[in-house]
Amino acid sequence: MLPRIINLILGVWLMAAPAVLEYAGAARTNDRIAGPLAASCALIAAWEITRALRMVNAMIGIWLLIAPWLVAFSGINVANSTLVGFLLLGCALTRGRIRHSFGGGWKSLWESRRRRSQTNAE
Amino acid sequence: MRNGSIPPGWSYNPSRCIERLILVLLALAGFGIALYLSLYQWAVFSTVWEPFFGAGSQNVLHSQLLHALPVPDSALGALGYLIEAVLGGAGGNERWRAQPWLVIFYGLTVASLALVSILLVIFQSAFLNAWCTLCLASAAISINLVGPVMDEVLAGLQHIKRESALGDSLWRAFWGLKPNVAANH
Repeated sequence: MLPRIINLILGVWLMAAPAVLEYAGAARTNDRIAGPLAASCALIAAWEITRALRMVNAMIGIWLLIAPWLVAFSGINVANSTLVGFLLLGCALTRGRIRHSFGGGWKSLWESRRRRSQTNAE
Repeated sequence: MRNGSIPPGWSYNPSRCIERLILVLLALAGFGIALYLSLYQWAVFSTVWEPFFGAGSQNVLHSQLLHALPVPDSALGALGYLIEAVLGGAGGNERWRAQPWLVIFYGLTVASLALVSILLVIFQSAFLNAWCTLCLASAAISINLVGPVMDEVLAGLQHIKRESALGDSLWRAFWGLKPNVAANH
């Protein structure tokens, strides 16, 4: 749960950062697209059944790490984007505890029937 | 009988009425917010409640995109929330296998409303550079509904797959038309 809460806060921070740190242009647009996406995915991934959405945040984290060089951020944006990207990626890669079982989960839908009954028996 | 309401291989029943009650209340809260915003967009109210962002709500709610359709976007949102509340409340504890179609339509409604909400938040923050507190609250509700709803959807899909593997048609399983429900157990 904690990694999802941290990523939710990071997403909200990305939305607020352009106003707080006073930057505009491409960096602002970038963060205000990445922010809502990251916060939403963190919120949805808080539930075990949709935990897989943390991988979207892993991709957003990687994007934030490379974006400063691709989109030519400057000064404080580089530091902010790199730090947030690093934390976002780290938390997203933490799977967290899965307490419930879901009859083989989503992948059971495209497994053959025999394999699924094996998974259920385990 | 009580045991039979838990899907095979699951540790709990995703369709429990008590859990769905909370989701229905959340959807009704979303409906209330969206209805209020649509009444403002229809100029029934001349001002809109905005505690944090000054003229942000006005800028967002009067933006061109949100009036691109014949009805304001929040009116569609209100309708969506109402459908969510009805689909969330309908059916009993075993609806993941009694009415798979209901569960799947519910999941599709929740997912599409959440997707539109995310896009609208991106639109207002990235392109309008303005914020609307109630729009964000409404978006938070619809995004927050996705996680707790998808377990039921998975149970419904697994049920359909199981039934069709037993020789029933996908179509009949989807509409919950299987006559011998107790045969699996």
